[in-house]
Amino acid sequence: MQHITQLILNGLMAGTILAVPAIGLTAIFAVLRFTNFALASHMTIGAYAGFVANVSLGMPVYVSLFAAFLIAGLVGWLSDEFVLKPFRAAGFITTAIGSIALTIALENIVRFIFANQMRGYNLPLKRDWVFGGGLRVGPQQIENLVIAVIVMGLLFAFLAMTRTGKAMRAVADNPMLASIKGIDVNMVARVVSFVGMGLAGIGGMLIGLDTTIDPLIGFKTILSVFAAAVVGGLGSIPGAVVGALVVGVGEELSLLVLSPAYRTAVGFIAILLVLTFCPRGILGARQY
Amino acid sequence: MQRLNRRTILKTAAAAAATAALPIRAYAQGEPIKVGILTPLTGAGGNDGPRMLKAMQAVFDEVNKAGGVLGRKIEPVIEDDQTNPEAAVRAARKLIEVNKVPIIMGTWASAVTAAVAPVCWESKTFIMTVSGADSITQLPHQGFLIRTQPTSKLQAFAHAEFIASQGFKRIGIIGIQAPFALSNREHLDAYLKTVGGQVVSHVIYEKDKPTYRSEVDKVMAEKPDFLYLNGYAPDTVVVLRDLYRANINLPKFAQTYAVPQTTLDANPPDVSEGVMTGLPSADLDSTAYKLAADRLGLKELDGFVAQATDWASLAVLTIAKAKEATGVGFKDNVRKISQGAGEKVYSAMDGLKALAAGREINYEGASGPCDFDSIGDIGKCRFRYSIAKKGKLEFMKVV
Repeated sequence: MQHITQLILNGLMAGTILAVPAIGLTAIFAVLRFTNFALASHMTIGAYAGFVANVSLGMPVYVSLFAAFLIAGLVGWLSDEFVLKPFRAAGFITTAIGSIALTIALENIVRFIFANQMRGYNLPLKRDWVFGGGLRVGPQQIENLVIAVIVMGLLFAFLAMTRTGKAMRAVADNPMLASIKGIDVNMVARVVSFVGMGLAGIGGMLIGLDTTIDPLIGFKTILSVFAAAVVGGLGSIPGAVVGALVVGVGEELSLLVLSPAYRTAVGFIAILLVLTFCPRGILGARQY
Repeated sequence: MQRLNRRTILKTAAAAAATAALPIRAYAQGEPIKVGILTPLTGAGGNDGPRMLKAMQAVFDEVNKAGGVLGRKIEPVIEDDQTNPEAAVRAARKLIEVNKVPIIMGTWASAVTAAVAPVCWESKTFIMTVSGADSITQLPHQGFLIRTQPTSKLQAFAHAEFIASQGFKRIGIIGIQAPFALSNREHLDAYLKTVGGQVVSHVIYEKDKPTYRSEVDKVMAEKPDFLYLNGYAPDTVVVLRDLYRANINLPKFAQTYAVPQTTLDANPPDVSEGVMTGLPSADLDSTAYKLAADRLGLKELDGFVAQATDWASLAVLTIAKAKEATGVGFKDNVRKISQGAGEKVYSAMDGLKALAAGREINYEGASGPCDFDSIGDIGKCRFRYSIAKKGKLEFMKVV
């Protein structure tokens, strides 16, 4: 029993890492109605922005996380404005494919500036907390969970309580009607690109805090992030968090019967199962 | 407008044929010989690929400055294999079909070489690699493959001997899913059993995961007294972190390529303190080693740089011996210049002079004697061991 409890704890901790970028992916999908795979390179950009703030400029981790949000958000806004926006008239598949091309281009710009070598943040590594007769949790992962929950809460409040947030929901619900009612659809697209990619940036830095950073950090994680968002319900912000935790726990519990070499397959089997029985994801689409 | 008639067509055809023949004449007068370099400039091998590339280029530059081989310059065509089999196959096809290279050098990861090798032998392109998995040379490569890296078996036996010599008996292996994963376990276990030890647990993990906490728990379930980390650099960083977090302070061993300075820098020094590493060593006392070190302006060469020096030298000398730059020429002639009773030479330049004088040669490389058996493996190798102390690798011994 203790073994299973530990696996669930490990899964929750693995899931928290995916939750923040999954929120970004799902928020962009909710408003702009396409899967923006450029999230991968924005995770990378956030990780490197945080690296510059933390290691080169000597700023503390929380300030660096804000820098990751800001820079990745800024690049997200600009790249959407100048690259992806013209694609949108051609339909969501074209835009999604355009986002893949964009992510490869941005990733290579990062590679050009920072080269390929692995880097780490200037952060002491904490030992796990041990409790309940040998169960372990990592303080860093608890912090990740707290950050994911705070981000989710802030975004939820932003969407529910602010005028811009309500405008975003209106555009997500019916862009044509929102436009007729006088909502500036382009402005909403800019805001959601900034916020969504900013969150991707935070997610990239959180992954980097747990592992190392290199130009492929976003690319290596994007499929799991995508799985989390789809399982939770693409377009649902709480769904992204639930999906991330379900994928994380599912992958870990699979170790009871499978070799760890098949962990990723479990995430995608989870997608198949969820979409078969519950096509809109666990929490369904468009729930704020 | 002039009407087409039989004479016009004949004249045009003759002119076209003459034009088509022009490049062939130019080729015979000194068109560069293109050779393919397919090595990891990014991904898990991104730490070693660029150094191997420099070593190969240094040899080709030296040869080109002296006039090239067969009166032609060597022109390396470089592609990044991204330490990714799928990207590597695409790049190999480009090298073979577009650039028409007769040889590809530099693949690093065993999974990459296993994917690229069939593309090579099917197109009669020769390949030289540093990949160590036993299965690589057991592929039906028809002689189109050689490697300068010792096999997994040779490496695992040497590592097991090193671990057993320190008195450890119960080994836990935690390693990446790769072609060498299972064979390494079998060879380590086979050797350890001869000295009263054994492999007690073996966990294979997937690459690119942000955490390996459960894998660490799994390998520790059988209470090993020593851990063998069988991964690449990016995942070994994460495994070391998760071991530290779990407060597991067992002695550990990893391949040196998994613990380069970037791995040590990526973690606080405590995390990798005491990790022992091993790597097939360059042949430190050899003349070829000293020549290569001078050529590159380095005090020390690691095994990969030494091997890359040897590939480039072997390629040049084989072209000179075969008097042609074709895959079949490499296959049929590489052993004629790398082993046997000929005059021992330690660099491409020396070898070219000896061949020009009509003498038989035996290239003795910076990585070792470069004597290949019938399936393309080398027979023996030295190993260099180091230990991580305060965030730096310190030399232990060469065996």
